[in-house]
Amino acid sequence: MSSFDAMKKFAQSYAKMSQTVFCEDLSITLTVIEGLARHKDEYGAPLCPCRHYQSKKTEVMAAYWNCPCVPMRERKECHCMLFLQPDNEFAGQTCTLDP
Amino acid sequence: MLHIDELTFENEVLQSEKLVLVDFWAPWCGPCRMIGPILEEIAKEFNLKVVQVNTDENPNLATFYGIRSIPTLMLFKKGQRVDTVIGAVPKSILIHTINKYL
Repeated sequence: MSSFDAMKKFAQSYAKMSQTVFCEDLSITLTVIEGLARHKDEYGAPLCPCRHYQSKKTEVMAAYWNCPCVPMRERKECHCMLFLQPDNEFAGQTCTLDP
Repeated sequence: MLHIDELTFENEVLQSEKLVLVDFWAPWCGPCRMIGPILEEIAKEFNLKVVQVNTDENPNLATFYGIRSIPTLMLFKKGQRVDTVIGAVPKSILIHTINKYL
Protein backbone atom coordinates (compact mmCIF):
# COMPACT_ATOMS: atom_id res chain seq x y z
CA MET A 1 0.00 0.00 0.00
CA SER A 2 1.38 3.45 -0.90
CA SER A 3 1.83 6.02 1.85
CA PHE A 4 -0.94 8.07 0.25
CA ASP A 5 -3.39 5.17 0.50
CA ALA A 6 -2.23 4.41 4.04
CA MET A 7 -2.77 8.04 5.09
CA LYS A 8 -6.16 8.08 3.39
CA LYS A 9 -7.15 5.02 5.37
CA PHE A 10 -5.81 6.55 8.58
CA ALA A 11 -7.63 9.85 7.98
CA GLN A 12 -10.96 8.11 7.51
CA SER A 13 -10.67 5.93 10.58
CA TYR A 14 -9.36 8.80 12.73
CA ALA A 15 -12.16 11.13 11.61
CA LYS A 16 -14.71 8.47 12.48
CA MET A 17 -13.11 7.76 15.86
CA SER A 18 -12.78 11.46 16.78
CA GLN A 19 -16.28 12.27 15.49
CA THR A 20 -14.95 14.87 13.09
CA VAL A 21 -15.68 15.35 9.38
CA PHE A 22 -13.74 16.34 6.29
CA CYS A 23 -13.88 19.72 4.60
CA GLU A 24 -16.80 20.35 2.24
CA ASP A 25 -14.16 20.72 -0.49
CA LEU A 26 -12.50 17.30 -0.52
CA SER A 27 -9.63 18.56 -2.68
CA ILE A 28 -8.42 20.37 0.46
CA THR A 29 -8.58 17.08 2.39
CA LEU A 30 -6.68 15.20 -0.32
CA THR A 31 -4.02 17.92 -0.54
CA VAL A 32 -3.30 17.58 3.18
CA ILE A 33 -3.26 13.77 2.94
CA GLU A 34 -0.74 14.01 0.09
CA GLY A 35 1.42 16.33 2.24
CA LEU A 36 1.27 13.90 5.17
CA ALA A 37 2.19 10.97 2.90
CA ARG A 38 5.18 12.87 1.47
CA HIS A 39 6.46 13.68 4.94
CA LYS A 40 6.01 10.04 5.95
CA ASP A 41 8.04 8.90 2.94
CA GLU A 42 10.74 11.48 3.39
CA TYR A 43 11.05 11.77 7.17
CA GLY A 44 9.41 8.62 8.49
CA ALA A 45 6.37 10.28 10.09
CA PRO A 46 3.32 12.21 8.83
CA LEU A 47 4.43 15.64 10.01
CA CYS A 48 1.76 18.33 9.59
CA PRO A 49 2.19 20.03 6.18
CA CYS A 50 0.62 23.27 7.43
CA ARG A 51 3.52 24.40 9.60
CA HIS A 52 6.97 25.77 8.94
CA TYR A 53 9.77 24.01 10.81
CA GLN A 54 13.40 24.93 11.22
CA SER A 55 14.21 21.25 10.85
CA LYS A 56 11.62 18.71 9.75
CA LYS A 57 13.90 15.90 10.91
CA THR A 58 14.02 17.27 14.46
CA GLU A 59 10.27 17.95 14.51
CA VAL A 60 9.47 14.39 13.48
CA MET A 61 11.47 13.17 16.49
CA ALA A 62 9.77 15.67 18.81
CA ALA A 63 6.47 14.17 17.55
CA TYR A 64 4.28 17.12 18.63
CA TRP A 65 3.20 17.90 15.05
CA ASN A 66 3.08 14.32 13.79
CA CYS A 67 -0.50 13.67 12.68
CA PRO A 68 -2.70 13.39 14.67
CA CYS A 69 -0.88 16.24 16.42
CA VAL A 70 -1.16 17.05 20.12
CA PRO A 71 -3.72 19.91 19.66
CA MET A 72 -5.92 17.50 17.66
CA ARG A 73 -5.63 14.70 20.19
CA GLU A 74 -6.24 17.01 23.13
CA ARG A 75 -8.75 19.53 21.80
CA LYS A 76 -9.76 18.39 18.31
CA GLU A 77 -7.97 21.38 16.82
CA CYS A 78 -6.66 20.77 13.30
CA HIS A 79 -5.53 24.06 11.76
CA CYS A 80 -4.71 22.13 8.58
CA MET A 81 -8.48 21.59 8.16
CA LEU A 82 -8.17 17.84 7.70
CA PHE A 83 -10.37 17.02 10.69
CA LEU A 84 -13.16 19.51 11.29
CA GLN A 85 -15.72 19.64 14.04
CA PRO A 86 -19.19 19.30 12.48
CA ASP A 87 -20.13 22.89 13.40
CA ASN A 88 -17.11 24.38 11.57
CA GLU A 89 -18.19 26.71 8.75
CA PHE A 90 -16.16 24.65 6.25
CA ALA A 91 -17.32 21.25 7.51
CA GLY A 92 -18.69 18.79 4.99
CA GLN A 93 -21.05 15.91 5.67
CA THR A 94 -18.72 12.99 5.56
CA CYS A 95 -15.71 11.24 7.03
CA THR A 96 -15.29 8.90 4.08
CA LEU A 97 -13.36 9.60 0.91
CA ASP A 98 -14.38 6.87 -1.49
CA PRO A 99 -17.78 6.98 -3.17
CA MET B 1 0.58 36.46 -8.19
CA LEU B 2 4.25 37.17 -8.00
CA HIS B 3 6.42 34.47 -6.41
CA ILE B 4 9.13 35.89 -4.21
CA ASP B 5 12.27 34.19 -2.95
CA GLU B 6 15.10 35.05 -0.61
CA LEU B 7 16.87 36.99 -3.34
CA THR B 8 13.93 39.09 -4.51
CA PHE B 9 12.27 39.75 -1.15
CA GLU B 10 14.26 42.90 -0.41
CA ASN B 11 13.41 44.53 -3.73
CA GLU B 12 9.86 43.38 -4.21
CA VAL B 13 8.65 43.66 -0.62
CA LEU B 14 10.88 45.84 1.54
CA GLN B 15 11.59 48.45 -1.14
CA SER B 16 8.03 48.52 -2.52
CA GLU B 17 6.26 51.86 -2.77
CA LYS B 18 2.93 50.11 -2.40
CA LEU B 19 1.52 48.22 0.57
CA VAL B 20 2.53 44.55 0.18
CA LEU B 21 0.63 41.46 1.33
CA VAL B 22 2.96 38.48 1.61
CA ASP B 23 1.40 35.02 1.64
CA PHE B 24 3.73 32.49 3.27
CA TRP B 25 2.44 29.17 1.95
CA ALA B 26 3.46 25.56 1.37
CA PRO B 27 2.50 23.27 -1.51
CA TRP B 28 0.66 20.57 0.49
CA CYS B 29 -1.14 22.87 2.89
CA GLY B 30 -4.91 22.64 2.41
CA PRO B 31 -5.91 26.03 3.90
CA CYS B 32 -3.29 27.71 1.66
CA ARG B 33 -5.26 26.46 -1.34
CA MET B 34 -8.48 27.81 0.13
CA ILE B 35 -7.10 31.28 0.57
CA GLY B 36 -5.51 31.45 -2.91
CA PRO B 37 -8.62 32.61 -4.82
CA ILE B 38 -9.39 35.19 -2.12
CA LEU B 39 -5.91 36.67 -2.51
CA GLU B 40 -6.33 36.80 -6.30
CA GLU B 41 -9.51 38.84 -5.79
CA ILE B 42 -7.87 41.14 -3.27
CA ALA B 43 -4.95 41.75 -5.63
CA LYS B 44 -7.44 43.00 -8.26
CA GLU B 45 -9.70 44.98 -5.96
CA PHE B 46 -7.16 46.89 -3.84
CA ASN B 47 -4.25 49.14 -4.52
CA LEU B 48 -1.68 46.81 -3.03
CA LYS B 49 0.78 44.23 -4.15
CA VAL B 50 0.13 40.57 -3.30
CA VAL B 51 3.09 38.19 -3.41
CA GLN B 52 3.74 34.61 -2.34
CA VAL B 53 6.65 32.96 -0.56
CA ASN B 54 6.95 29.16 -0.70
CA THR B 55 8.20 28.31 2.79
CA ASP B 56 9.59 24.92 1.69
CA GLU B 57 11.79 26.62 -0.90
CA ASN B 58 12.66 29.63 1.27
CA PRO B 59 13.07 28.23 4.78
CA ASN B 60 15.44 30.97 5.95
CA LEU B 61 13.00 33.70 5.05
CA ALA B 62 10.16 31.86 6.80
CA THR B 63 12.27 31.31 9.89
CA PHE B 64 13.44 34.94 9.91
CA TYR B 65 9.83 36.13 9.99
CA GLY B 66 8.90 33.59 12.64
CA ILE B 67 6.45 31.63 10.51
CA ARG B 68 4.88 28.70 12.35
CA SER B 69 1.35 28.05 11.16
CA ILE B 70 0.76 28.14 7.40
CA PRO B 71 -0.72 30.07 5.71
CA THR B 72 0.56 33.20 7.42
CA LEU B 73 -0.18 36.52 5.74
CA MET B 74 1.98 39.54 6.50
CA LEU B 75 1.47 43.14 5.53
CA PHE B 76 4.51 45.31 4.81
CA LYS B 77 4.37 49.06 4.54
CA LYS B 78 7.47 51.05 3.62
CA GLY B 79 9.72 48.14 4.45
CA GLN B 80 8.15 47.49 7.85
CA ARG B 81 5.96 44.59 8.85
CA VAL B 82 2.78 46.19 10.12
CA ASP B 83 0.37 43.28 10.60
CA THR B 84 0.07 39.49 10.54
CA VAL B 85 -2.94 37.26 9.90
CA ILE B 86 -2.64 33.55 10.60
CA GLY B 87 -4.68 30.82 8.90
CA ALA B 88 -7.36 30.74 6.22
CA VAL B 89 -9.56 33.62 7.35
CA PRO B 90 -12.67 35.01 5.63
CA LYS B 91 -12.18 37.71 3.01
CA SER B 92 -13.94 40.29 5.20
CA ILE B 93 -11.31 39.95 7.92
CA LEU B 94 -8.52 40.41 5.40
CA ILE B 95 -10.18 43.49 3.93
CA HIS B 96 -10.62 44.96 7.40
CA THR B 97 -6.92 44.46 8.12
CA ILE B 98 -5.77 45.83 4.75
CA ASN B 99 -7.95 48.93 5.06
CA LYS B 100 -6.12 49.93 8.23
CA TYR B 101 -2.95 50.51 6.21
CA LEU B 102 -4.09 51.77 2.80
